Amino acid sequence: MTAPNVESDAAFRVADRLKRLAAPWDVFAERCRKYEVHLSAGRIELVRGPVQIEGYGIRVLRPHDGTISDGLQASTDFSDAGIASVTADAEANAKFTKFPARSVELPSTVQPRAVEIADPELWKDPAAALDRHVTQLLHSVEQEPGTSVTFGSIKVTLSETTLANSSGLAASYAHAFVQSEIGILNSGGNDDSAPGEYWVVELERRLETPQLPGKVHDWARFARDARRAGPPPNGQVPVILPADVLEGILPGALSFQFSGAGRLHEVSPPEGTVVGPEFLNVDDDGLIPWGVGSGPFDDEGVGQQSRQLVQHGSTKDLLCDLAYASAIGRTSTGSGFRRSQFGPPSWYRFTHSLQPAQSTISIPGGSGGSDDELIEAARDGIWVQQLGWASPSGSTTAFGGEIRIGYRIRNGKLAEPIRGGTVGGRLVTPSDQPSLFRDLVAVGRSPKLVSGVSVPSLLTKGLTVSSESAAAATASA
Amino acid sequence: MPDLRDHEEVLRQAVRRLAEHSPFAESMAATTHGETVSVDSKSRSTERPARISGAAFRAWAGDRWVEGATSSFDPASVRSAVEGLLPALRAGSKGPPPGESSTTVGRADTPPGRPMHDLGTEELVARVEEMRSWIGGPASIKVSFAQVQWGESERLYLNSTGANCFQRVYRTHLAIGAIASENGKTQQEMFGAGGLGGQELLDRVDQHKALDVATTVVSLLSAKEPPTGRMNVIFDPGVTATFAHESFGHGTEGDQFVRKRSYLLPLLGKSVAPEFLTLVDDGSLPGAWGSVAFDDEGHPGARTVLIDHGRFVSGLYDRESAAAMGSHPTGNTRRAGFLDRAFVRMTNTLVEPGDRTRDELIEEAKDGVVLERWLSGMEDPAGGQMQIKVARGHRIENGKMTDLLGPMALSGKVLDVLRNVKGISGASDFEMTPGFCGKGHGDYLPVGDGGSYVLTQAVVGPA
Repeated sequence: MTAPNVESDAAFRVADRLKRLAAPWDVFAERCRKYEVHLSAGRIELVRGPVQIEGYGIRVLRPHDGTISDGLQASTDFSDAGIASVTADAEANAKFTKFPARSVELPSTVQPRAVEIADPELWKDPAAALDRHVTQLLHSVEQEPGTSVTFGSIKVTLSETTLANSSGLAASYAHAFVQSEIGILNSGGNDDSAPGEYWVVELERRLETPQLPGKVHDWARFARDARRAGPPPNGQVPVILPADVLEGILPGALSFQFSGAGRLHEVSPPEGTVVGPEFLNVDDDGLIPWGVGSGPFDDEGVGQQSRQLVQHGSTKDLLCDLAYASAIGRTSTGSGFRRSQFGPPSWYRFTHSLQPAQSTISIPGGSGGSDDELIEAARDGIWVQQLGWASPSGSTTAFGGEIRIGYRIRNGKLAEPIRGGTVGGRLVTPSDQPSLFRDLVAVGRSPKLVSGVSVPSLLTKGLTVSSESAAAATASA
Repeated sequence: MPDLRDHEEVLRQAVRRLAEHSPFAESMAATTHGETVSVDSKSRSTERPARISGAAFRAWAGDRWVEGATSSFDPASVRSAVEGLLPALRAGSKGPPPGESSTTVGRADTPPGRPMHDLGTEELVARVEEMRSWIGGPASIKVSFAQVQWGESERLYLNSTGANCFQRVYRTHLAIGAIASENGKTQQEMFGAGGLGGQELLDRVDQHKALDVATTVVSLLSAKEPPTGRMNVIFDPGVTATFAHESFGHGTEGDQFVRKRSYLLPLLGKSVAPEFLTLVDDGSLPGAWGSVAFDDEGHPGARTVLIDHGRFVSGLYDRESAAAMGSHPTGNTRRAGFLDRAFVRMTNTLVEPGDRTRDELIEEAKDGVVLERWLSGMEDPAGGQMQIKVARGHRIENGKMTDLLGPMALSGKVLDVLRNVKGISGASDFEMTPGFCGKGHGDYLPVGDGGSYVLTQAVVGPA
């Protein structure tokens, strides 16, 4: 598959006009085109785009009392006066910034790494591809009895990223994001119960139009099952979390504790701390095909790679950008990213500040077998299909949310649907306390790529379920 | 700060051009400037909002809206954004869009007595450093932090029916917090405040509040696990505020009615809560974080009563949903920015104070938990469920507040939680809290929420 050409030279144009600026500095630029279709009550409500933005962020790094401080500013104004204003703001910010890095050496080259993050077919005619996708979505929903789309938005962003710095680096790549948010409602029929909805939220690198009929069939089933779902059992019961749920927990809970920022602030567990069973391995893979955090290099120009966060149950690497690596005496892991505080990247990034962050959290397939085998191993527990919002804490790794839809597991088989109540706990804890990792029973065989994770289903007995139900499951697994 | 009205003529021409091919067209331009100063135990940073401004253009194509945007006021860029919409408009029919088009002409710019921009970066850095230093604390506090963020935002709305609404909004937000860690266990505590205004808002943090943060975070290291299951719960004012937002906020957004996605639609006009409960959304609340002079369809920010003494009386409407519901726009159409679409959104949503005291509510609860310091909330407008996550709380035993509890999540059916409200504490407990709200999983914008102590029942568990 041939990657689309990068036509933008935005960072290089700005860098050309920074020749007289004292080194070190870098320029991160993006040209983005966004195409959106919004749905309401099964019809197209709004067509947006292309909404276009091209801008850049300048970072200057300045010595300050034996340490290095950075100053950033961003703009869409490429005029000489605009660049001068941005540079002045960045210098002013650097003057007041303090950070305990001793030296930050910007890369002069980056080894090109091929990673699939831009679909050439999508690039050719994004509006037409989006139109086909929406048509297929609405058609697939029509095939499901009693099912409709209440609302939805499909947003395609094509981005050309360019990066230049005072060490002579000039690099670029093209990539795409597809954000889908769809409300699938099941109502009517012989069932007089209230309508049920399954709320689909996906972030991907490409439009997966051929997969839509199968996906819609599953979504319709979850919406239908939500109508007859009862409360989950109460207490500490075996819980299976598939990738769709882990996507809302792992990146948010791990990104600070397993980073240079967490170590600098003395919150990360020391290297070699046992946080889970011997069979647990957790990586952060920046090169996984179609991963939303994947790319040939990070936002500082350091090549992306795979980092081992947990190896055989013990903590290992920390995610570092150049500044945090220097502050804690390590080297960058190619994990310096410009991110918004509200989640993974999906739109322009040049306005955001740099921080060490995850790419795609991945857990290799384990010996727990298929999902059916995990269910059999759980015996008596629950399968959580969707949590309302796990709201993970980066500093404490606590998470918890309402069960939107799940299934009771009885006698090693999926049984009736469940809904309501909460499931929560911690991802990482000291040895005397329960946690998702520490009380892991089995890791499933097949990782699935869902937004920011590529993980198999996990069976754990370290979470607490709270519900209306007086009944507790009998602990097994 | 550049004045958006300098670009009024080019925007007016753009709206006129769109109106040549559409029965209705509008533009919303926006820009912001300000500063953020963050200080923690190891580092300090200052940032200014990106120098980005631009405009969104929307026009009616007969059966749908078409929309584009530009991040430059350069006439060629504006023309390009507008011309890109014309093919879809030419293809559409000429029927008018549903609902009322604004004809409001107005200007709103009330600078605070002591604007933040007068303070200067050096002085602001010193103030933030001082705030952080107040936290102090024992060795188990690994991180203490303070942050002040201020912004002065301008919006200019124009449409083809003559509306011309300019507003300048001054928002200031501050937070202090700490992370404590001991024997591998970690806890976090913070305090935040914010609203429309300037330097006077900085006075909301003092040494007393900082000491509270330090004491609480250390105590949380030995907090007990919360009980699980259905029980009596008391919301602190911040949790009540989140409850107001999640319970009858998202479900009353009129677009959810049009989508047939709100379980509340059949309940309009009916009793949904005790007679002593009134819940409103108020975009005109002076000084509140989510207040707007005009919404992004050119309608003035306004007070809308959603639950009037227990009866569900209205939703929040943009032009389209108002038309569908036989009502009028309520001033709740908002865009997160000029690159984002318009939706029906909340402004400041609050449960009005009652006449009980907190201690009376605790005594009446007898057994249960107090939920304190909200972290997040989420509503399910179709299914009528909601969840709220809090950082801590207290056990209630025999009508007394006892052990400190760690993070908890609440889950329940909105109508059950509302109908089980047994009492609301008085105005002296009432607080407005600043926050950010997403529509679904995006489009975050500032909203305020308010309330005092509330006693009800819900399912609670650790989180």
